Amino acid sequence: MKNIIISVDNLSYKINENRLFSNVSFSLCKGECIHIKGSNGSGKSTLLRIILGITSPKKGKINYNIERNISYLGHKNALKSYLSVEDNIKLMGLLNHHELKGHLETLSLKKMLDIKVANLSYGQQKKLALLRVFMNNSNLIILDEPFVGLDKENQNILSSFLNNELQNEKGIIFTSHINCEIISKTLKID
Amino acid sequence: MKYFGLELLKLRKKTRSWLGPILVFWLIMIAYPLTIEFSPENLEIGFFSVLWIAILLSMMFATEDIFTEDYNDGSLEQTLINDIPFVYQVVLKVMIHWLLIGIPISLLSFIFSLGTNGNLSLSLLILPFAMMSSYIFLNLFVLGNALSLNKGSVLGAIITLPMALPVLIVLGKSITAIQLEINYSGFIFLLLGSLSIIIVTVPIVVSYIIKAHLE
Repeated sequence: MKNIIISVDNLSYKINENRLFSNVSFSLCKGECIHIKGSNGSGKSTLLRIILGITSPKKGKINYNIERNISYLGHKNALKSYLSVEDNIKLMGLLNHHELKGHLETLSLKKMLDIKVANLSYGQQKKLALLRVFMNNSNLIILDEPFVGLDKENQNILSSFLNNELQNEKGIIFTSHINCEIISKTLKID
Repeated sequence: MKYFGLELLKLRKKTRSWLGPILVFWLIMIAYPLTIEFSPENLEIGFFSVLWIAILLSMMFATEDIFTEDYNDGSLEQTLINDIPFVYQVVLKVMIHWLLIGIPISLLSFIFSLGTNGNLSLSLLILPFAMMSSYIFLNLFVLGNALSLNKGSVLGAIITLPMALPVLIVLGKSITAIQLEINYSGFIFLLLGSLSIIIVTVPIVVSYIIKAHLE
């Protein structure tokens, strides 16, 4: 049981009288991945936000069995459009990270350091935002639709990165309606 | 200190956010003499009233998108989940805005005051009053901005503007006391007292409001 990163017990959430999900329970161990599936508006993103502690659940509780250290990428990329790629990396606190050069090459962002984020395509912005996840030192990675906006090649890069992270004993929770090759358990909320 | 540097970078690179309020202040102070008959006596009559209102308006513009931008691009969510307490981050954000906008405006206040009345000792006294009032106004409008985070900054400004009126009254009275050469230290302590309460309470309240918005 000591391998459990997070356990969720009977989590329920409703907006006014509209119940999004009820009695959701699961636990995530080190090296495990949970793929949350559900139709539009079923509360997948809300569930992630509850796990992150941004939104409070109406019922149920979440227990972190390890130090709370989460790497998160949501629908919004948390990038400053008026800043260059390099400045955004600086804002993420990753400019001096030893793995930065390698990841910039992998994601084809190396030649774009001086370009303003506003001038990047959505896919390029997504890749830049993913650096936050790629160079994390967290024990739990939470991603909300991480494959949206990425081409097949970059989807594969992300998938293989996440599979690697699983081997490094990290926990991953993500939502996606795009099929991906990540070894994961499925949690369906509807 | 790392977070301080990063926030400073964000504001510094967004020139219109810090230069805009300074220019608004400068324009108001430049425009003031043009609206009255140009004589030293006339200039001095309404100068300080215009000065305080110019500081108030500049601080209102300075906080226009202090949280809105971070809210819209998802940075606030990232800020909320990192290990630095959110209250501390709010304090730093306000402080950086004050350093880049409040301090230059306070210095300009001194210059404009000196240019208008030629009284160095009076103008030097304006400096601490301008510095304190700019920090108080900044905090008040930050509160307003947080309250109206997804409803536009104008609403927030309207909500918090009445809270700035007592400060304007104290500022007006303190100038009268200085000009009449009576004891004005009480007004400084009053502003310092307000400032010390605001410095502590506003970031706490703002952090709760923003968390509620993100829910």
